Amino acid sequence: MAHQTYPTTRKRTRLDAQFDRISAREEAGEARSKGGSRAFNKFLNNRLAVIGLIIFSVIVLTAIFAPLLTPYDPNRIDLRAMLQPPSWEHWFGTDRTGRDLFSRVLYGGRISILVGLGSAVLAAIVGILIGVYTGYVGGWLDALAMRVSEIFMSFPQIILVLLLVSILGQSLVNLMLIFTLTGWGGIYRMARARMLSIREEEYVLALRSFGLSRPLIAYKHMLPNALGPIMVNITLSTAAFILQEAGLSFLGLGVPLSIPTWGNILNVAQDLRVLQSNWWVWLPVGTVISLFVLSVNFIGDGLRDATDPSQQG
Amino acid sequence: MLTYIIRRVLILIPMAFAICFLVYLGLELTPGDAVSHMINPDALGSMNADQLEALRQSLGLGQPFYVRFWAWFTNLIQGNFGYSMNGGVPIGSIIATRLPATLELAAVALVFSTVLGCLLGVVSALSRGSRTDNVLTVIGMLGVSIPEFFFGLVAILVFALNLGWFPVGGRSMPGYMTLWDRLPHLVLPSLVLSIMLTAGVMRYARSSMLDALSRDFIKTARSKGIPEWRVNLLHGFRVALTPVVVLIGFRLPVLIGGSVIIEQVFQWPGIGNEFISAVRSQDYPVVMTIALLSVMAVLLASLIVDILTAVIDPRVRLGE
Repeated sequence: MAHQTYPTTRKRTRLDAQFDRISAREEAGEARSKGGSRAFNKFLNNRLAVIGLIIFSVIVLTAIFAPLLTPYDPNRIDLRAMLQPPSWEHWFGTDRTGRDLFSRVLYGGRISILVGLGSAVLAAIVGILIGVYTGYVGGWLDALAMRVSEIFMSFPQIILVLLLVSILGQSLVNLMLIFTLTGWGGIYRMARARMLSIREEEYVLALRSFGLSRPLIAYKHMLPNALGPIMVNITLSTAAFILQEAGLSFLGLGVPLSIPTWGNILNVAQDLRVLQSNWWVWLPVGTVISLFVLSVNFIGDGLRDATDPSQQG
Repeated sequence: MLTYIIRRVLILIPMAFAICFLVYLGLELTPGDAVSHMINPDALGSMNADQLEALRQSLGLGQPFYVRFWAWFTNLIQGNFGYSMNGGVPIGSIIATRLPATLELAAVALVFSTVLGCLLGVVSALSRGSRTDNVLTVIGMLGVSIPEFFFGLVAILVFALNLGWFPVGGRSMPGYMTLWDRLPHLVLPSLVLSIMLTAGVMRYARSSMLDALSRDFIKTARSKGIPEWRVNLLHGFRVALTPVVVLIGFRLPVLIGGSVIIEQVFQWPGIGNEFISAVRSQDYPVVMTIALLSVMAVLLASLIVDILTAVIDPRVRLGE
């Protein structure tokens, strides 16, 4: 009988190497979950979302600490320093009346972010207040709210915003009110749709049999289960409102021109001479708007992936 | 099928009516004399106070609100929109002169963005997880994050001012008659308008295609030995198409909104441009009429989308 020999060593494959790495990490005690919630870890593993969060934080912090970062008043006119290109003294240069553009971008960020985030939160509050309750209770109240939101949502948003601007007039508060009024529909529908499915859960039936009041069940016990998609929606509508504010102010119909906002700084770029020869007036601020909106969109996408278990990858 | 269409139309009519009512309410609440947008201003200027009062009575301005609303509404249905407060031009003729420009821009942008968006979305879905997919995803994100007017400014600077390939703005020049002459004017605005739309379509087409490819009938098709490209295009894409058709309808509000700003950037003489100048000069009748027409366009588009979806997907029309 022929004696058969087996090779004691076989060729190592890529999978072996991977397995070794994993067992090495296990021995070192690194393989265990870092703690914290699953959604939070999933968010941190999303590279684009983390990059978005970093850009977002940097822009928000520079806007908050604007007085520490720049010695210039964003509204101080200096006729001896008109349309200067970027220099050590004026990092982003100066505009047509000699105002320092770096300082205007920082202070403008305060207003633009306030308008974007503020309107998104206000719209979410209105949408949730209506959607959560009517979605749970149903009946004629639900039908009425649905019809009203349909009417609001059948207007193209910019058209409705401009229509209201022409009636109410231009001011910071008006703009936020208008954004709230035109933006609540989306979040209302989402909150309502979530409520319709949560309503069927057994714990809701249990709460009802305990005799809890309807608002208590709806707002305290059902709303928390819908918070994931709501957060995503707030993030994405913040991005949309910042874009809209920029567009409206660019047209000269948003925030009054005396208040610096990102859109108002871009307003002068409608002049073709400024566009062609003074790039520093519009390019940096346009880049900042785009970066900020991009980062908010990345965060929104990351949040959606992290909070929605049905969405993998 | 017919009952489905009739049911959709019946839902739509009360809504259109409610919107007309709200717009009229807005028109009544805004400052300004109602006579000024119902009567040709030339005729109005040559009247004395007594004649004006008689005119008010004959127009029914002393009548209750609902009677006035009904008069306005019946006029509206007959295509009589009233007069602009600036210059007294009939609003109907303003719209008639401005609408073709907007439609031209919108049609080019819609076709371009649909074709390109579907193409990129399908490519992205077929190469899921690869570098191509990641790059396309980030580009799509950039497309929806950069303000469209900023795209417009950069396009004007690069292609019009520096390279001189295309005109800076406007729709045509004196002596330009045919579409071919005007084509250079159309390129930049329609491309810029397409960018945002393309990004949206791409993201939607990608997820819709991925959804279709994960279905069982795709496995069946593969197991039958059908070539991969046939599986992807004939079996996958056809099913993925339904949501994309829906998206074309949902894009109409975005298209209208986008064209308002783009028309301003490129000085394109369309409805959006007229709307902005009416908002600036607080010409309420024009603002209200254009807003009303845009809502009607959106409602009509949603109706057409519903019908198209029902044609493509029998479950929709039989399900309800």
